[in-house]
Amino acid sequence: MQAFIALSRRPGGTFAMLAVTLLCLVAIAAPLIAPYAPNAIAPANRLMEPSWQHLLGTDHLGRDILSRLIYGARVALGISLSVIAISLSTGVALGIAAALSPRAIDLAVVGVFDIVTSFPSIILALALVAVFGPGLGNVVLLVSIVFIPHFGRVARAQTIAIRNSPFIEAEKVLGAETWRVVLHHVTPNIIGPIFVLACMDIPVVITIEAGLSFLGLGVRPPLASWGNLLNDGYTYLDQSVWLATFSGLALVLATLGFALLGEALRDTLDPKLRKAL
Amino acid sequence: MTFNPTRRQVLVGGASLATIVALGGVHPAFAGADRAKITVRVEKDLSNLDPANRSGPIDLNVIWSVQQGLISFKPGSTEWELDAAEELEQVSDTEIRFKLRSGLAFTGGYGDLTAEDVKFSFERFIKPDAEGKPVTYAKDWSSLDRVEVTAPLEGRIILKNPAPALYTIALADGSGRIVSKKAFEALGKDIATKLIGSGPYVLKEWTPREQFVLEINPDYKGPIKAHFHQIVGKPIGEQKTAEIAFKSGEIDFTAIDPENGKSLAALPDASITEIPAIDYVWFGPNIEKAPFDDIRVRQAIRYAVDIDAILQGAYSGLYPRADALLAPSLLGHWKDAPVHARDLEKAQALLAEAGHADGFKTKLTIEANARYEAIAQIIQANLAEVGIEVEIEALESAAYWALGENDASKDLELSLIKFNGKFDPGFQTQWFTSAQVGQWNWQRWKNADFDALHEKGGVTVDPAEREKIYIEAQKLLDESAAFIWITHNLNAFASRKWLKPGVLPNGNNWLYTAFTQATA
Repeated sequence: MQAFIALSRRPGGTFAMLAVTLLCLVAIAAPLIAPYAPNAIAPANRLMEPSWQHLLGTDHLGRDILSRLIYGARVALGISLSVIAISLSTGVALGIAAALSPRAIDLAVVGVFDIVTSFPSIILALALVAVFGPGLGNVVLLVSIVFIPHFGRVARAQTIAIRNSPFIEAEKVLGAETWRVVLHHVTPNIIGPIFVLACMDIPVVITIEAGLSFLGLGVRPPLASWGNLLNDGYTYLDQSVWLATFSGLALVLATLGFALLGEALRDTLDPKLRKAL
Repeated sequence: MTFNPTRRQVLVGGASLATIVALGGVHPAFAGADRAKITVRVEKDLSNLDPANRSGPIDLNVIWSVQQGLISFKPGSTEWELDAAEELEQVSDTEIRFKLRSGLAFTGGYGDLTAEDVKFSFERFIKPDAEGKPVTYAKDWSSLDRVEVTAPLEGRIILKNPAPALYTIALADGSGRIVSKKAFEALGKDIATKLIGSGPYVLKEWTPREQFVLEINPDYKGPIKAHFHQIVGKPIGEQKTAEIAFKSGEIDFTAIDPENGKSLAALPDASITEIPAIDYVWFGPNIEKAPFDDIRVRQAIRYAVDIDAILQGAYSGLYPRADALLAPSLLGHWKDAPVHARDLEKAQALLAEAGHADGFKTKLTIEANARYEAIAQIIQANLAEVGIEVEIEALESAAYWALGENDASKDLELSLIKFNGKFDPGFQTQWFTSAQVGQWNWQRWKNADFDALHEKGGVTVDPAEREKIYIEAQKLLDESAAFIWITHNLNAFASRKWLKPGVLPNGNNWLYTAFTQATA
């Protein structure tokens, strides 16, 4: 509770919490709140302006923009949380393993992390999806690969910082096995900064997914993704501005919300910054 | 009285002058009309300027303005007129006699245009090239036996069999351009980039990926007059970028999406031209693959898909519906072709009869672009209603067209295709023959009767008889239910009000010599 109060006092904290909560609620309740089926086409109603019938208008195939944005939130959140979950768990496991392994293995893992991170995230994701093909599953898997080093490097650095701490040494002296030390002592002590990093990576993943879908390399039609919607909006911009405007706004709201939440969390969880504020 | 401007007056005056000059440079409304030159947008850069190995209409349009043929197309028409030939006579079904105009000469000092050049230009198509391969457009002259030179400016074209399509497919088209034998021998492979001709224009400059410049040929003595001193072509791939370039005054002519015609027509100096095209857009299954080898499944798909919804959703309701292969402006158009209306009950009944009452999964392959994605999504939604789950596979242009090589089409299931049309019906029917399976017949439909009709149409001289033949051929296509026609397309162009574009009825081919100043 204290954390929430502290968060709300941070600049942008309230907005961030509201935006993220709204997004999560919309994504969860999509089938209940979407006024139309997101993929129901009605070419006779194409490119309609916002009205009481279609609150945000329709796209070029007569689909309801609001319904597609609502379902798009599911895709954006679903993909970003899946990517973060996969890359966080794999990255943390690799990072801890590298930190606790002999130097040669540590260097090898760090080398792989360096190679992956030497490419800009979006370029690497583009290249991987171009090679392995588009689609929901591939996007999740391949973007996860891009993000593994983010978490792996932090986990490794944090583990190195505490691996010789007295409480770890004490556990070892008491005969605890490595897995027990990692699970009960290392992980709980390094997860804070990683959680903040995860929060700050969510908007990046949302942007990458949207970018891939915009380029036709992400989620395949007819599944509604904000990137697909933005692409359709751009294509038909001369005839209707609504789709591009609303899908752009949804992206801005989501990325800004998660980015501000990440920053607020970082400030709240970091004792030095907390003291300063 | 003396005028001693102050420093401030000089600065204000200079700034005003600079503003006027700048405005003139950026917006046509402020620009002084430079009517000696026009700038046109081409969709891609020039590629191969050898008429026998040209890569498409962009090359051909330039070749047409630089090289003469015995005949050439009349502006805006599928009919032809005499060009380098002073006389042209069909002596018999297999012999055409020609007499060249005197005084025609090639640029670059390659001498006069003679009957020897005509013989060399046409016979190239029936002989292998230096590497032993046939030229790209060898088929256009497949009926040619030989060209006999009877005098320096006279000759006879001898055919192996009657070839009524020869005039539109070869003689008036790119394959009928006359190249200089001397230039060809001197330039070798450079003939693909150095365009030598005797026509109204010369290719003055070609800066790859930047622009090409056509300029009036001062030594031209033929009958077709050019109207602009200079024509500049700028390659701009993206349609939207081209429309922005048009709005800004950078170009004077471009093909546009018909959907954007209204907004562009609102510009004070813009004029929009729409020309029904002769292309053919369709989709269909690979009938060698189950379950599409069952005609009932194919018929079910045809009943399940709403073509009118596709035209509304993907073409803004602006494009005409196609019910058969040949467009209304072509010989052999089947005006009584059945209009297959959507009938979900029939579709479901046919699927049940074929043992697919619960539907099945399949894949629709398309070329990746917004319009085809829209079509594919409508097909996907339509087929979902009868239980057929469609996955859309959108391939980049190069990967998509590579399906026409090395029998790659054998793995296709459903595919959405657009082919460009030409003025002779035989050009269109050739892609659906059995011989094209493994190349461009992606439905892999084989029908001996259709093949025979295509062959017969190619050698029948009487137009009425040809018309019957091509209608019969289209009936066979319809009976197969392997081809679900969507549209023949619509071409739209934006040009300055003072410019009248010289576009042929297919929309893809432009006669730069026929671009004229519009009369008020």
